[in-house]
Amino acid sequence: MFNNLFEAIFETFKREIIRMASRPIYFFCTVVVMTFSYIFFLTFFNEGQPNKMPIGVVDFDNSAFSRQFIRNLDATQQAKVTMRLNSHREAREEMQRGNIYAFVEIKRDFSSQVISNRRPKMTFYVNDGFLISGSLLLKDITYLSAVTSAGMQQQILRAKGMDESRIKSIIQPITLDTHLIGNPWANYGTYLLNVILPSILQLMVLMMTIFPIGVELKERTSKIWLETANNSIFAAITGKLLPYTFIFTTLGIIGNILLYRYMGYPLQSSISWMFLNTFLFVLASQAIGVLLIGITPVLRDGATLAGFYGMLGVTFAGSTFPIEQMPWATRIFSDLFPIHHYFNIYVNQALNGVEIKHSVVSFVALLSFNILPLFVYYRLKKAAINQNFPIK
Amino acid sequence: MNDSKHKSTQTNKFISIIKDIYNVFMNEFRIIFKDRGVLIMFMLAPLAYPIIYGSLYKNETLVDVPVAAVDCSRSQRSGELLRHIDATQNVKIVSHYSSLTEAKKAYNDKKVSGVIFIPADFNKKLNTGEQTTVSIYCDISSFMYYRIISQACSYCVQDMSKKIQVERLNNNGITGESAAIISDPIPYEGVVLYNEGAGFASFILPAVLMLIIHQTLFFGIGMIAGTSREENRFHVLVSTSIHRGSTFRVIIGKSISYLSIYSVWSFFILEVIPHIFNLPHIGNTADILLLLLPFLLSTIFFSMTISVFMPNRETSMILFMFMSLILLFLSGVSWPQSNINGFWRAFSWIFPSTHGIQGYIKINTMGADIRHISFEYISLWVQTAIYFITATGAYYWQINKSSQKLMNEMETEIG
Repeated sequence: MFNNLFEAIFETFKREIIRMASRPIYFFCTVVVMTFSYIFFLTFFNEGQPNKMPIGVVDFDNSAFSRQFIRNLDATQQAKVTMRLNSHREAREEMQRGNIYAFVEIKRDFSSQVISNRRPKMTFYVNDGFLISGSLLLKDITYLSAVTSAGMQQQILRAKGMDESRIKSIIQPITLDTHLIGNPWANYGTYLLNVILPSILQLMVLMMTIFPIGVELKERTSKIWLETANNSIFAAITGKLLPYTFIFTTLGIIGNILLYRYMGYPLQSSISWMFLNTFLFVLASQAIGVLLIGITPVLRDGATLAGFYGMLGVTFAGSTFPIEQMPWATRIFSDLFPIHHYFNIYVNQALNGVEIKHSVVSFVALLSFNILPLFVYYRLKKAAINQNFPIK
Repeated sequence: MNDSKHKSTQTNKFISIIKDIYNVFMNEFRIIFKDRGVLIMFMLAPLAYPIIYGSLYKNETLVDVPVAAVDCSRSQRSGELLRHIDATQNVKIVSHYSSLTEAKKAYNDKKVSGVIFIPADFNKKLNTGEQTTVSIYCDISSFMYYRIISQACSYCVQDMSKKIQVERLNNNGITGESAAIISDPIPYEGVVLYNEGAGFASFILPAVLMLIIHQTLFFGIGMIAGTSREENRFHVLVSTSIHRGSTFRVIIGKSISYLSIYSVWSFFILEVIPHIFNLPHIGNTADILLLLLPFLLSTIFFSMTISVFMPNRETSMILFMFMSLILLFLSGVSWPQSNINGFWRAFSWIFPSTHGIQGYIKINTMGADIRHISFEYISLWVQTAIYFITATGAYYWQINKSSQKLMNEMETEIG
């Protein structure tokens, strides 16, 4: 009996390979899309953090002091002074054009006011309509302003004849030491690629589960498909999807190697946990795909559903905006997305490097997705035999 | 006499053109409303997606992020600092531990997203006039946690630092006005513009809304063309003989039908949704309308060009759905446009979404007017012109091919 089953699976597998070679879409939606995505995102974020973003200055003071400040500004990691503007209005317009992401305004007689202890105020403006560049620049310019202010304090205290060790403790009685757990460089690529690339993988697995099954129903070849599998829908699905399991797991593992070895993104545990994670993630996504095409055995509706589900997956992974802070219903929904569990395992293993027991629940969750196809077992079989669903 | 005859033929020709366009236009509506798949793309998706994304990102910022405190100093001052941090809107101290190891365990169990560590000699150093250090450990699985926790802590630490500074200056005999000067010789202020609360939804949703328009149009048009090709009915699009003029009529008739549907959706997505979800919306409506016309037209012609090459109705969705993510990054909203390298920047100019999103955010979020976004605006019109030509060429080719095929079939049948 088992021999029969294996033979049925193997025959379907062989048939699928031949089908795959007959149309370019199979190659495009697996290898080409994933390769393109890897190349795109790795070259897109290769800087790690957006550095030297263009900012402007409105320097009404034009003194040695203000020129030095602007030079220091230009030397910060994130900012580059690309524009000198003549008025607040002009600066604001350049910001609206998107030519600069921030600007600093230095008042007339600024330096003479500093020297005469009249405490002139330094104002800078950042555009948080572009949140990432805005918040990074705000941090950098604030830091530089604090340093400049501290330098001034130092000068005054020195003039009062105070010794250096005391000056330091007066300027900054409490310092703050910030540690980033797992990602010490605050690399933007690390945040995003660990979610975006698996999201695309999940999307393509879904599409490439729904398409091979749906196209049999659409082109009315599903009876032949089932016959090849000895009329076992289990063998038919397994044999059909096996090539994709293999292709996508390989592509996913290549992705892991690119991120953790080639790019050197944080990896605090053995990379094999991420390989296992990827494999189970592909299987779980395939199970969701079978469920979707089983619910609506019409290729076009299945693809629409998969697209909808796949795009939501990016949100539900929980990296862009933490799930814990979303409306409560969202938190429950997020468990229905394999990518959410994949992301949890990534955070636990790769980022934080905690003991594997913390990830067991997520691994089990990924595995349990494989129960889902059972719910559409008979529906899919009937659809394959009766071919009673519309083709368009 | 000759002249008037000439005129009447011209008028007739004009009427027949309008009639052709009208027929294509009506026919396209019939196709859209008879096809459930296209209806989902054109009617359900533009309604559902903005509402779903708007609700998911309803919370603009993080509130009461749970953190643990390890207070080894157990002094009045350390308690005060922790109370201050706890009182901020963004951070909440949910537990206290006596050692970093214990706190780390709580972090690993995902009970807290950060740890604040105050060393044992914190108070002693403050009393003896030395410098001390407070450490924080942040979860950085999400960019937001790191930003929120470090912002709240650094604000509170600086605040306390300033008070101690004044005390120390007083102890050194510097008091009153001169202490105030020394403690803050150059006051500075960072003003956040256009998204005052640094909200996540206010930042990402305007881009997503434009992308929804772009993508649903693209997939809907792709589905219509794929179906035509499957059923080999491109030839039906042209009423009489095949000449270039009729291709124009087909393109214009079809695009007017898409444009009319998406004018309504654009109003809903760009005008109603920002009101419902409280998104930034300070732009001038007239400017948005000005931008919208070339954005919709270029998107329609771009989609029509690509759609002709879709062999089946579902191909464009299966093949290009992943591009939605790539287009979002190419638009330069999250990763700034200034830092996108030359190659990808040029690549991004292929898609109407890039200029559309940039233009829309600048008007809608930053209150720019149309002359500030002349680059985006002109680019969209250039795209409209280019993609109109490519769409015409592609349709001409496809219509020809399709009717050729039909001819051959008829010949074989007769033969």
